[in-house]
Amino acid sequence: MAVNPPVPDDPERLAQFNVRIAGGDQIEAGEWLPGQYRFEAQRLIQMHANSEIMGALPEREWIPRAPTLARKMALTAKVQDEVGHGMLLYRVAETLGRPREEMYAELVEGRARFHNVFHYPAETWADVAIIQVFVDGAAMQTQGALRSCSYAPYSRVLKRICYEEDFHIQLGLDVWRALAEGTPAQRAMLQDALNRWWTPIIHFFGMPDKVSPHTETMLAWRLKVKSNEELRQQFLRRFVPIILEYGLIVPDPGLRWVEAEQRYVYTEPDWEELKRVGRNGGPKSAERLALRQSFYRQHAWIREALSRWTPIAA
Amino acid sequence: MSAPAVAIADPAVRAAFREWLLRVADDELTIGHRHSEWTGVGPDIESDVAMSSIAQEELGHARLFYEQVAGDDPGGADRLAYGRAPDDYRNAVLLELPNQGWEFSIIRLALYEAYEGLRLGLLARCGQEPVAGLAATLGREERYHGLFASTWLERLAGAPHGDAGGTAGPRAKVQAALDAAWPYALGFFETTEADEVLLGAGVLTQPAAQQRESWEAAVRPLLARCHLTVPVAAPRDGGRRGLHTADLTQLHREMTEVWRSDPEARW
Amino acid sequence: MDESWVQTLQAAPDIWAVFLQARRRDAHVYVGDVHASDAEMALLLAKENYARRDPCVSLWVVPARDIRATSGDAAEMFAPVTDKSYRFGGSYRQQQRVYRGGYQTAAADGDETR
Repeated sequence: MAVNPPVPDDPERLAQFNVRIAGGDQIEAGEWLPGQYRFEAQRLIQMHANSEIMGALPEREWIPRAPTLARKMALTAKVQDEVGHGMLLYRVAETLGRPREEMYAELVEGRARFHNVFHYPAETWADVAIIQVFVDGAAMQTQGALRSCSYAPYSRVLKRICYEEDFHIQLGLDVWRALAEGTPAQRAMLQDALNRWWTPIIHFFGMPDKVSPHTETMLAWRLKVKSNEELRQQFLRRFVPIILEYGLIVPDPGLRWVEAEQRYVYTEPDWEELKRVGRNGGPKSAERLALRQSFYRQHAWIREALSRWTPIAA
Repeated sequence: MSAPAVAIADPAVRAAFREWLLRVADDELTIGHRHSEWTGVGPDIESDVAMSSIAQEELGHARLFYEQVAGDDPGGADRLAYGRAPDDYRNAVLLELPNQGWEFSIIRLALYEAYEGLRLGLLARCGQEPVAGLAATLGREERYHGLFASTWLERLAGAPHGDAGGTAGPRAKVQAALDAAWPYALGFFETTEADEVLLGAGVLTQPAAQQRESWEAAVRPLLARCHLTVPVAAPRDGGRRGLHTADLTQLHREMTEVWRSDPEARW
Repeated sequence: MDESWVQTLQAAPDIWAVFLQARRRDAHVYVGDVHASDAEMALLLAKENYARRDPCVSLWVVPARDIRATSGDAAEMFAPVTDKSYRFGGSYRQQQRVYRGGYQTAAADGDETR
């Protein structure tokens, strides 16, 4: 249900709505929403749900190959959590007016978006550590900030998600530690994975925000809580020390802390790559969408069988 | 119930018991591995999550039984799980087969859970601690696995599907999965010399033929309720003797890929 | 015309609301929804989707579309407008001081009902 261009809102209701949000209030499912708010919130949450579902794909490749029974169970549980988050998030997106089936079909047909990081390959076991520490760590910055967003169902689900993501980062750090303190081959594998993932992770937060009416509206409506650059800086402050602590090399030689400005400067990444990936043009986009499509079609008869099933009267 | 007077000091009985435990552990490892492959690609999001829990629990059970075999050796369970050659595994061949569609996995889950429930009962009466105590508690988790299988089976194959869709309909698909799985399921009851030894020592209290009867008594009503016909087929076995298929070779190669890159490393 | 103060959650027929009881003494609490074909499947799925980590001894499910709710603007009916202190103990404290002796004796005799 794309509201584009939005149906004009009742000006009085819109004014009241804006006053409520400005006062720090949260909106519940079923309440009146401005057309554009509904559109933006739905798109944001749907993209998040899509990302959890697509995010399962790189990591699940390593479940069959996890090198110990403990790692195998923990990785299965971690990917399970991501799928579970997708379930929770699609439900929130549904409250804004689209059935899950419709959103899911749109995703597998390649017409919907998901976060850039999940368009890249997970080439080695060490990629699992990088994804769990740095990719989940990056997502935590955004998700943590959005806990104070204005749409209450999303805010509640994010609290639950952040609680579980914390476990993922702890798990990731355990794998990271084993590799960083392991054999030369393990350390090399870890550094190589970090090198390959660095740019997509920096990209993840998006380009520094342009001052635009759109950004202003999103901030005013608390569908955006912190700017892209704020979140990226927050991430760097928390995660660069981990790299240095274990004697690994930050892949960007231009990255350094500027004490006077209390921020990191870094080499400007190629934003064209982010745009390409965002249009499902990343290295693994086609393959992963094809995998989803294949299972989706394979399971069509199951969805059909379930929809016709009614229990025999007891 | 009195514990049988087992001389586990007896090396033949000890070896036979070890073989039984490896069968259990290898069964749980291979089926856990196959179930875990559904994580992220199940037919609906909620069932994907539920099947993933079942996978984790089977892997957890595998670890518990490997630890029983490995004893005090801290890396021993992983070495047993990852370090043996494929023909040293003692799992039933059914469990190493790939996930040939959700309906196959559900049929396999139903057939295996019924067997596992009975086997845990036998282990609970084996007189050897801590295995007996362990087996008694694991049954609590396994109950959910059986419910998941039967609930799904009823919804895929039961009324009101009837024969809707003919040979391409849901019930026909499930029937095809049962036809494929049943002969391999009979391989659960394959015996080796170890079974004789364990029966003789009173550690195992039910011979394979009777185990199979109990198992059929458990699964046939469920299959009948779902209007499925049990095929008449010879067992496709070999797993209990280490005779496996190319599927186990593939499973083993993939499962041990990272581990083999450095078996001495800490992962 | 008074707009209805009762509304539905506008949920599709395959959505089930899940209520979880953590321990025997607790009330069942709403934890979220599952998509499922029927009640039994909903309970089965709810166990792993909502009780993987949290303690649980019992689950309820109900079709979300059967839930009836008060509307958003009805909330103002629930907010206290006039003095309701007669419902709370605080206003009786003055009198309790007068009766304290008798009250305590009653408690010591075990006459006080829980």
